[in-house]
Amino acid sequence: MKDSCALGAEELWNPSEQLSERVARLREEYVDISNRDFHNEIMPFTTGTEWDTMWSPALWGVVPDLLAFHKAFMESLPLVATRVELPADFWDRPHIVRVAVFFKEVIARYLPVRILDGELIVGGQFNAALSRAQNRSEARAWKKKTMKWLEEIEVLNNHGMGNAGATPGHLIPDYPRALKLGLKGLVEHFRKLSAETSDRAHKEFLEALIICCEGAREFAARYAAEARRLASECDDPARRAELEEIGRICEKVPWEPPETFHEALQALWFIHMLVMVQESYPGPGLSPGRIDQYLYPYYKADIDGGRLTRAQAKELLDCWWIKPNYAYDFMYRVMRIRGITSGYGQLITIGGHGPDGEDASNELTWLMLDVIEEMNLLEPKPNVRLHKNTPDDLMARVAGMIAESQGSPFLLNFDEASEAALRWQGLPEKDLWDYAPVGCLENTLQGNDRSGTVDVNVNLAKAVELTLFNGKDQATGDRLGPRTGDPRGFRSWEEFRSAFEKQLMALLHRFIEFYDFSDSIRASFEPTPYLSALVDGCAESGRDVTNAGPEHNYVTVEGVAFATAADSLTAIKKLVYEEGAVSMDELIKAIEDNYEGHEKLRLTLVNKAPKYGNDDDYADGVARYLSRLWTEEVFKHKTPNGRQYRGGYLSWNYWIAYAPFTSATPDGRKRGKFLSNGLCPVDGTDRKGPTAVAVSVGKLGLETVPNGDSHTISFNPSLLRGPGRVEKLAAYLRGYGEKGGTALQINVIDPETLREAQRKPSEYSNLLVRVTGYNAYFTMLGKEIQDEIIARETHEL
Amino acid sequence: MSSKVSPEHPAGETGNIFNIQRFSIEDGPGIRTTLFMKGCPLRCVWCHNPEGLEAAPQLMWFDVRCIGARDCLGACPVGALQLTAEGMLIDREACDACGKCADACPAGALEVVGRRYTPTEALDEVMRDEAFYRNSGGGVTVSGGEPSMQRRFVERFLSMAKEAGLHTALDTSGYSPPGVLTRLLEHADMVLLDLKLMDPDRHRELTGVELGPVLDSARLVGTGDRPLWIRTPVIPGCTDSDENIAALASFIGEELASARRWDLLAFNNTCGSKYRRLDLEWKLEGRPLIEAARMERLADIARCSGVKEVVWSGATRRES
Repeated sequence: MKDSCALGAEELWNPSEQLSERVARLREEYVDISNRDFHNEIMPFTTGTEWDTMWSPALWGVVPDLLAFHKAFMESLPLVATRVELPADFWDRPHIVRVAVFFKEVIARYLPVRILDGELIVGGQFNAALSRAQNRSEARAWKKKTMKWLEEIEVLNNHGMGNAGATPGHLIPDYPRALKLGLKGLVEHFRKLSAETSDRAHKEFLEALIICCEGAREFAARYAAEARRLASECDDPARRAELEEIGRICEKVPWEPPETFHEALQALWFIHMLVMVQESYPGPGLSPGRIDQYLYPYYKADIDGGRLTRAQAKELLDCWWIKPNYAYDFMYRVMRIRGITSGYGQLITIGGHGPDGEDASNELTWLMLDVIEEMNLLEPKPNVRLHKNTPDDLMARVAGMIAESQGSPFLLNFDEASEAALRWQGLPEKDLWDYAPVGCLENTLQGNDRSGTVDVNVNLAKAVELTLFNGKDQATGDRLGPRTGDPRGFRSWEEFRSAFEKQLMALLHRFIEFYDFSDSIRASFEPTPYLSALVDGCAESGRDVTNAGPEHNYVTVEGVAFATAADSLTAIKKLVYEEGAVSMDELIKAIEDNYEGHEKLRLTLVNKAPKYGNDDDYADGVARYLSRLWTEEVFKHKTPNGRQYRGGYLSWNYWIAYAPFTSATPDGRKRGKFLSNGLCPVDGTDRKGPTAVAVSVGKLGLETVPNGDSHTISFNPSLLRGPGRVEKLAAYLRGYGEKGGTALQINVIDPETLREAQRKPSEYSNLLVRVTGYNAYFTMLGKEIQDEIIARETHEL
Repeated sequence: MSSKVSPEHPAGETGNIFNIQRFSIEDGPGIRTTLFMKGCPLRCVWCHNPEGLEAAPQLMWFDVRCIGARDCLGACPVGALQLTAEGMLIDREACDACGKCADACPAGALEVVGRRYTPTEALDEVMRDEAFYRNSGGGVTVSGGEPSMQRRFVERFLSMAKEAGLHTALDTSGYSPPGVLTRLLEHADMVLLDLKLMDPDRHRELTGVELGPVLDSARLVGTGDRPLWIRTPVIPGCTDSDENIAALASFIGEELASARRWDLLAFNNTCGSKYRRLDLEWKLEGRPLIEAARMERLADIARCSGVKEVVWSGATRRES
């Protein structure tokens, strides 16, 4: 209600004053990274062999920003690595056991142990880079494949075709089971399985899982000892009592099953952080799943037993909430100014429904919403599952948080459409209700499903370019696809479409082949037995989680630049072949000239062809055709070890990265202008408002996209602040879910505030925005991403 | 996507609509779609939708979009267009808004405002957001212009919308023969009524029509169970005096028992470009925005009417 909507820096979404003094201080200590006397920076550990490696490029294939650095990391990390003393028989053991022993030695003796003043949940330094524990011949074979891998990724990435890699994380371990049984219980199970099998490799694998779990016990014991040491030196009786309690808890969990809420949170954090140690990856996509469901029994028992108040529970949760954020220390000196520092995603899920469709939210769901609001941190990334039985009060609370926040407080996941796609994918009907997303928004089952999300990212708009130029890259003339003919000779849309389909299939097949190769490197040489101990199916099958051991195994191909490709096809179909308003000759010439000197033609393409996202049946029909075409194709393929490919829409930062490497496109976009993001329409082309875009999304038939679909909508804050507005937003969300969208992120920031933040970054360092499936601090993003966010269509009246 | 229009209702007379606004959240409860009917008997000097004044379709020229391609000039069958250094000259006498120039323009710089829809076509459009109306308690609002000027279309449309299960609202200036209004009301679940001025002379001077018929209409829609929302544009120097709002408040309080809500809409100065596109004069150019404190005071006066919900909104200037 003022003439300028720009918010002053002081009005932004700061941590709440509701935080306890303890929590406020711990939060500040985390945020104030430059003045901390410790950092969770990358810590390499080596076996000391001359061929040792602790950096694996194929695991980072989907972060092409790092392509230039791989060789440097591979060579430099061993030079600064801590050498780990190993048992005498180390090199006599099979590789899987060596990996386990190395992990155990590091966490039991080397990983720093430190308890921060006042904290109630402990364990903060986990960004390790562990030796792959390979012997000479394994290392040689690994290196040969890795070098070949690097050659191909450069071709794919540098031509803007996409990227792929065997990405760590991106799954939900079976934490509820580990809490219920304790690691002790898991070990008992592994011993039983070992006794039942005569297969030597299977026995060795189970031995490796056991070693890892025992390592975790020793690791926790070091924290117990440290807590007792600090307690003995502590003058403050209150803190001394806390430290003694921490000591007691760390002595017990995660080996013994936790019995209290505090024990459960500590156990969960230890179990979780050690996965990051083993994967030597700072947490991307390693997701705890539905924590309001599986932590609830511990909370309820403590509350009912009078052992815990709601306020105490909240403070424990607050302390737990800070921990995952330390992942960002990983390479903070190098990556701080890049958007990618915001790309981690330890996604938690709250809300949703139970096995019979009944709402599953509970007191803990509500408590966690308070924590999310008051902590205002990047991690753990929150996701709220919404469904048709979500109660109105919860819906209103969620909508209210969106309306009042700066940036998007969470991902919204829509159960009915998400589950329909998981059903299409063939997952068991009885398990669908308990799904949860990982990373940014990628849907999986919990505890037994590695879906390889974001492992393959294909630029769909590149297939349009290759069709126009007979399989050649427009900028370099390099042959990237098959010869499908010069389209200037095509006489009909059907001819063009057929050529496009050939190019698209060839592109998809090339990526599938490349991913098969990427995956084989990890599956052969880089097992993660500790994680395998936590994922159902691995122990039973005797196969590592990196080698199709889990009960469900998929690889997700994420479609990048979907709307750019769809609108390009629409323009060609309508203006070239149906109306004859544009000739293929002039279109190709104009694209070769990047539309310089062809503004009239470019505007014709922009203005005279309908665009996806406006509830226009013509444009949405072409978009649906494209979506079904590529997602149904990838679903026909499996990796050699049996992982099924499936589709998704998540473009991370590739819609920016590949913009300069994609020719001008027939939707009127010039080379360099950003491609479309996730499932979103091309920037600025959705002009019929948020309901129309929801209807367009619903027309795509997203059941063939089981991963889920990143859709970001920006609302002007003035639209959501006023009487009755929160209810309207809640109703909009219900309508969105009903139309068939799977995942939505809502940014509520007016462009003027963003421009102000660009001008005065230091005053707006706490401004969060939703980028593409992840939140990021706006001022830490690159300028081009900032501009992109400002340029997004803001829905207002 | 398909509407549930039953085949026994053949499309009646067409209606001239200048905008179908989806995700409309001001024109009644819930999420709505608003049909803006073209043509209005009033000539309020502050009118924010001048493209809704004339009943016939009109050509609009967007200077910022024009790239000087000149395709429009040749496309015009009656030679009504002339591109000059000062911009596009449209011979409004000759132009019959056939739209050939707009089709020819690559840049979208020419648009015909006003398109004919059958009631079925309009309802098909409206039904696209049915899920959002259902989840929000919203529906469809027929606004204008003045909807009663297209009585046959609006009556048919509203009855079909009711039959399709939609909540319907009629947004009227009140300047409508009582018989027409009564017929439209049969199909309206609620009414939005503009009340601007209580002084008959000022009303005639600033809106171009007599106050009497407006008050008669107000009394007609202000009794009974059908909810009524009043809306008053607060225009500096025109409608923004304490006396005017107080007089409106007395009238509403005494005579309009069904009024549930009263919106005071602060003047904003963003419609000048629309006037230019239509070769019309925007008489309030440069007039300052109202201060927020002033709106608060007027809202307080409005609350004397006894209307349960009095809300003000719109752009204001910072206090000086």
